[in-house]
This record gives sequence, structure tokens and C-alpha cells, in this order.
Amino acid sequence: MTGAVAGSAETISGLLRQFFTAEQIAAEDGLLQQRDPRISLLSIAGLALAVMLSRTLAVVCLFGCVTVLLAWLSKVPLGRLLGRSAVVPLISGLIVLPQIVLLPGETVLGAYGLTVTDAGLGYLLFFVLRVGVGVALLSLLVLTTPFSAIVAAMGSLRIPVALVWVIAITYRYLFLFFDELQRLVLARNSRSTGSTSFRAGWDDLRRIAGTFLLRTLDRGERVGRGMRARGGARPPSPYSRSTPLDVSDYALLSVACLAIVGSGVVRWGL
Amino acid sequence: MGPVIEAHELTHEYPDGTRAISDVSLTVEAGEQIAVIGANGSGKSTLQLALGGLIEPTAGSVEYFGETTDAEAVRDRLGVLLQDPDDYLFNTTVREDIEYGPAQLGHSQEVAARRIDELASTLGLAALLDRPPFRLSGGEKQRAAVASVLSFAPEVLLVDEPLGAVDAHYRENILDLLKNHTGTTLVFTPTLEYVPEIADRVVCIGREGSVVADRPVREILTDQSLLERHGLRPPPTVQLFDGLVDRQQLPLTISEARQHLTEE
Repeated sequence: MTGAVAGSAETISGLLRQFFTAEQIAAEDGLLQQRDPRISLLSIAGLALAVMLSRTLAVVCLFGCVTVLLAWLSKVPLGRLLGRSAVVPLISGLIVLPQIVLLPGETVLGAYGLTVTDAGLGYLLFFVLRVGVGVALLSLLVLTTPFSAIVAAMGSLRIPVALVWVIAITYRYLFLFFDELQRLVLARNSRSTGSTSFRAGWDDLRRIAGTFLLRTLDRGERVGRGMRARGGARPPSPYSRSTPLDVSDYALLSVACLAIVGSGVVRWGL
Repeated sequence: MGPVIEAHELTHEYPDGTRAISDVSLTVEAGEQIAVIGANGSGKSTLQLALGGLIEPTAGSVEYFGETTDAEAVRDRLGVLLQDPDDYLFNTTVREDIEYGPAQLGHSQEVAARRIDELASTLGLAALLDRPPFRLSGGEKQRAAVASVLSFAPEVLLVDEPLGAVDAHYRENILDLLKNHTGTTLVFTPTLEYVPEIADRVVCIGREGSVVADRPVREILTDQSLLERHGLRPPPTVQLFDGLVDRQQLPLTISEARQHLTEE
């Protein structure tokens, strides 16, 4: 199977597989990498909460700048961060797109009986940016902290075991899902010659979709056994990677606390 | 010490009706080194999963350490290495995968770290610990999977085809680790070449998924008609010396063959 559709499937599955591993960045000696995982988790969660509390574009932009600064201090390439964070806000943007004509306001553009308002556009921009900054903060955490350390930090912060379990298993299976897709596409490509039309590519992709589902279920079952063989039936309990807290840890946590308070004050005018 | 595993009339059928194993009864005493041999599709892997408590057999039962039939209750004492290392390596780095077992089974972090360092050194994994498993070669994955199962020092090892794509150098290291395992070892394999090095008892599974022979290693590996009936071939040295020396004298390994030639 060759051509645009197959190429896209291979590229997307490869990229998504990479998405779930960030071993190089996590090994850097940047700001977040050097923090205790509990502090990273709490601070990033606090900043994300502050973003979600915000109701003005200016505050969201401020948090966007904080995110970029954190990424720079943590030696995370901005392109990589943007790549990991772009999909969710774009999809969110599509969902709220009708608001640009539904919200009343000054007409900015009109066509086919529909009028795009300034309030609608402002809402769309605010919504996409807010989701984007929130997702970028969480991506920053996953890029700079080994996943097992995040799970261990959740455990030591007394986050309910069921939630930790769901997050841990979802993360692992998402990786395996895309790994299986890439294997299947490679296996098909290795036995295909010549280029195919766009339509033929789609037909081929449709045919392998069923196989992919069955293979994914089968692999999930086998990996489940692999986990159980090493105590996977018990609640997740990875080793802690916590270190003695230092001034930078407290400073980062303070910034997150201040962000929550500041965002609350701006929102509720306390 | 009593039996560590006692399987009673194990039978397993897959949902499509395929009967993988049939009425398998097996008693494994503590400290035994056993090779479970059989042709492709004879049910070795299914038997391994059933003995390891990772599938529920259609019929029969398995008792562990004379105490329980619940494998989860003794999970920290059983090390089950699956056939495909990709099913075993599901974490984001090799280190996380190797420490997954010890962490889940409650081993201290310090003890586990020491053991992981030793295994990483023996199996040539030190430089690979922070890499994601999917970027490793087939042989490297196999070595990482072997390290993962040995990292929590289980009393009973059930390993399915542990040498896979491993190169000659690390093959020796893995064999040494299996030979030096102080507990009980069951190796499931269709390759008989290395069986004499790691086993003193051999259980042969026939194509219909039942035990067709359970005898000391020499008796089985020199029984060419038995092996050929069940889709297997004796080790190369046995084939080479067959007819040239007494059956009891057939060399099972290269070193035995060399010794035999030297004495001649």
C-alpha cells in the first residue's frame, strides 16, 4: 500500500508513537526535569487550573507566556511542544466554531446570510487559546518528567488509586495502539509495489481497519498478561523518584499558587 | 521441599474450539531444571500461560507451593516470561520496564536498583536503559525482557523461548543466568540444541497437546524416533554421532563431543 493515504497513516502512527515517548527531553537538565516530580505535577496542575479559571484573553496570553518561558527553561523545543499541543485546541476550535455566527455583536463579515460577529470571533480565539495553553502545560509535564515518575508522584500525593490506575493503563495502551498501527502499515507496505490512487489507498486502508482492530484487541490481551505476570493485577506502584525539595521547588510551587489566586481575583474580583 | 507446581489434568480450548493442551498433569519439584519441548503449535506456550496462572484452563487446576491455586497470591514467587518480548515491554523506557516487576511486587527500590545494575551489565543493557523499548533491535528486546523477569528474583521461572533473536555472546550470558538460577526453572522451547545445558529433566509435548514423555534429559534427547514422531530433531551432536557410538555415550553438547573425540 503506497500513496498519500498510506503515507499519512504511516506518518501519523509514527508521530503518535513518538508522542508517547519523550525520553530525550526528560533526560535534559532543565528547570522542570530537575524538580521533584510531585512539585512538577502540583505546579503544572495548579497553572492549568489557573488557566481554566481565567475569563479574559489577556490573562490567558499571560499564562501562554509563562508556558513558553517554562518550556525554554526546561530546554523543550517550542516546535515539539506546539506539535504535541496543537491537536486538542484545533478540534475544540472546530466544536465551538458555530459560536462565531451565533454570538450577538458587531458584524465583522457577512456572507450567505450568515454574519460573523466580533464577539463570536473573540470567544473562538479565547476558547482555543485557553484550551491550547492548558494542553501545552500538561504536555510540558509529560515531556519533562518520566511517566512512571508522574504515576509515582500521583500515588504519593494520595490521588485515588482508581484514577491513577486508569491514567497509567490508558497511557500505556495508547502507545501500544499506535505501535500496532505502525507495524501493520509497515507490514502492508513491505508487500506492496508501485503507487496507488487516492481512492485505492482509501479502499486498502478500509480493508486493514478490521484487521487492525482485531490485532489491537489481541495485543492488548497479550500485554495484559505481560503486566499480570509482573504484578500488574495490583494497583500501580512505581518507584518514587522524589528528591529533597530545594528553593526552586518551593519557588515553582509558589508561582503556581499565586497564579491560581491571581486568576481567581481577576475572575471574581475578590 | 515439596512440589512448587502441581498441574492436574490441564486442558485448554480457545474460543474457536482449538484444543491447545489436553489432560496435562505435571509435578515440578523445588530446584528442578526442566525443559518443556514440543513442535510449533503443540501447546507449549499455552501450557506455560496456564502454569503461570495467566490463562484460566478450560479444565483442571494448578497448585502452587502446595499452598494455593490462586497464582496472584504467589505472583512475586513466579516469573513468567512470555514468548514475544513486545508483549512484555510496555513502558516508556527499558529501565521502567525492568523495574516494573520489582516495584509492583513490593521489592525495595535499593535492592531492585542493585539487581537491575547487575542484570544490565550482564545483558549489555546499561546503555539502553533510558531508551524506549520499541527502538531496540529484536535481540535487545529479548535481553530486556529476560532482565525484566529476573529483576524480581522469582523462585520459579517459566520462560518461553528465551533466546529468540539473541546473538551468540548474549546467548551464553542468558544461558548462564538460567543455569545459575537458584530456584526452579522451566524453559519452553522447540530448539533442543541448548536444552542439555539448562535442564536435567525434559517434558515432551506431542502435537495433540498432551505429555508424551517425561524423562531425564539424556533419555529423551537421544531417543531419535520419539523426537521425530513429534516434529523435533535431536541436538546436532547427537545426530552427528548417531550410529558411531553407543546410545548411552552420545554427546549432547559440543563440549561432550570434543571430550569424546579427545578420548578417542
